[in-house]
Amino acid sequence: MDLTRNLSPLPPAPIAPAVTPPAVLSNMPALEAAIGQSIPVRLVAGNVPSLDIAPAHLVAASMFLRDQLGFSLLSCVSGADMGDHLQVVYHVRNLETNWLLQLSVAVPTATNEVESVMGVWPTANWLERETYDMYGIIFTGHPDLRRILLDDEFEGFPLLKSFRPTPLTRHDPATTQVSPQQAVAGAQQRGLGPQRAIPNILSQGESERLHPGTPTFGSTQFHGREFPPQTWKHLQGPPPAENEQKPR
Amino acid sequence: MATQFQNSTSENPEGLKTEEMILNMGPQHPSTHGVLRLVLSLDGETVTHCTPVIGYLHRGIEKILENRPYMGGIRYMDNADYLSPMLNETAYAGAVEQLMGIEPPRRAQYIRLITNEMQRIASHLVAVGTYMLDLGAFTPILYAFRDREGLLEMFEEIGGSRFNVNYMRVGGVLHDIPVGWLQRLETWLDNFDKSWQELNTLITGNEIFMKRTQGVGYIDPEQAIAYGMTGPIARASGVRYDLRVNKPYGAYHDIKTEMVVREDGDAFGRYMVRLYEMRESVRLIRTAMAQLPGGPICTRTPIALRPPRGETYFAVESSKGELGIYLISDGSEYPWRAKIRGPSFVNLQIVPELMRGHKMGDVVAILGSIDLVLGEVDR
Repeated sequence: MDLTRNLSPLPPAPIAPAVTPPAVLSNMPALEAAIGQSIPVRLVAGNVPSLDIAPAHLVAASMFLRDQLGFSLLSCVSGADMGDHLQVVYHVRNLETNWLLQLSVAVPTATNEVESVMGVWPTANWLERETYDMYGIIFTGHPDLRRILLDDEFEGFPLLKSFRPTPLTRHDPATTQVSPQQAVAGAQQRGLGPQRAIPNILSQGESERLHPGTPTFGSTQFHGREFPPQTWKHLQGPPPAENEQKPR
Repeated sequence: MATQFQNSTSENPEGLKTEEMILNMGPQHPSTHGVLRLVLSLDGETVTHCTPVIGYLHRGIEKILENRPYMGGIRYMDNADYLSPMLNETAYAGAVEQLMGIEPPRRAQYIRLITNEMQRIASHLVAVGTYMLDLGAFTPILYAFRDREGLLEMFEEIGGSRFNVNYMRVGGVLHDIPVGWLQRLETWLDNFDKSWQELNTLITGNEIFMKRTQGVGYIDPEQAIAYGMTGPIARASGVRYDLRVNKPYGAYHDIKTEMVVREDGDAFGRYMVRLYEMRESVRLIRTAMAQLPGGPICTRTPIALRPPRGETYFAVESSKGELGIYLISDGSEYPWRAKIRGPSFVNLQIVPELMRGHKMGDVVAILGSIDLVLGEVDR
């Protein structure tokens, strides 16, 4: 029987070795001296040190990490929508000492710009393009910053929490038709302004759904009303226009 | 006619004028292994520039993961790199475990190692077989798919499905090993030793193959690291980087991997690394089967997984390179952010550098040696 084959007692110690503080932390004073500012360090799950770096110091810190500390491989660039701000997270590796380091950069909300690290690690090219594609974060100094996975005409940045996968439409039950003017635009999804706190009310309500013939991201307005709506009930609330049939 | 031709050139002081030609390769092209489009600028037969256009298979897996519970996201990882779903699931499950501070039972970790190495063999078999098909040799893919079929059948027995296995769980694996499965795996491994020799003698040393791959698509180690190459591509260039060795996870702490490294840096070296990694995987599977411990296969986890607030980055050595998962948890049942660092996506970046200056006929030879899976590039 396979189930009883080679039954050995469970070892008392776990497989993974004991967790020790990462040795890379001993080099942090040199890094802080190089960029002239103290860096908050925290340990994230998996015993990986994470440095919160100001956007102004990103390239200088990256150059120092690559040239002085041997972090030659940029593994990953991820964007993240933290609710009140966006952040870019870099994971860099030292192949000799097997150090892994995480750099977190909070994107300034006013400019929405971060300096590109493509001059430090050329592999940042596509990784930053993907982050721009999904979050709209602009990497200054990037030579070819355009969409990479999505279509060039796509409106909106889909990994933002404010993004709507389908536009709001008002479905007319009498005709089952939705006029293009009634399809809500992706125009509200372009920016990062006050529209980012759009409540997700899509999946409720019978009168709201996307007709198959509706252009997904048109440029029309949301019934001529202000966006975002206060509650989803207001979609039925105000009286319709004179020539418009009131939906049931 | 000939005189006319001569006259027309002799009138031009610079001789025959050529102009650059733009050639679209793909997205529907058998050698691109999916829906990849390469915009090639050709000067005669020489490629002067190559622009990959990707995104035809974009399904928004990262957005989907944000809208699924942690356990429900494992199934969507199958579709990222659809040639190695076991490895993808291990990466995602491992990231959630690291976030929650769970250690899977020892037996589960060994089963993970066995299935992961089986998947690596299967993926490399496809890579080698289709590469030879790209180069015009039809026979090796038949041998490769014949052997891979045995692995897929065993995946079906252990997980219930051949491709999208959905086998890993946060805290362990779904099913224990069925009765007789290990014996069948041993039989398969014994057969594969012969099949490996068969493939080796069939391909390696073949004069046409050597001439088409040796010296084609060379990457030096510094360039490979700068462009973020991982996996067999980096190891074929002499970069000693394998996460199973450099940053062991799970049962790789116990069972040491011998890294397959070559100094060639060309397409032939990448093929050789894949070929010998299959052999190394066979050795790992045999070792893990000999040491397979008993006990539970999954820790008890709550039905609704709510990892504490925080973030983590967990990477496994996939068949293509470093497959990393970056997770942010806000304390709820759904991941706030799940980023997939697909090795194929990063490895594709170097293709324009490799193509530059090569002849048109080498385009397929270079592209096939990268071993792309477009499901992982586009996600």
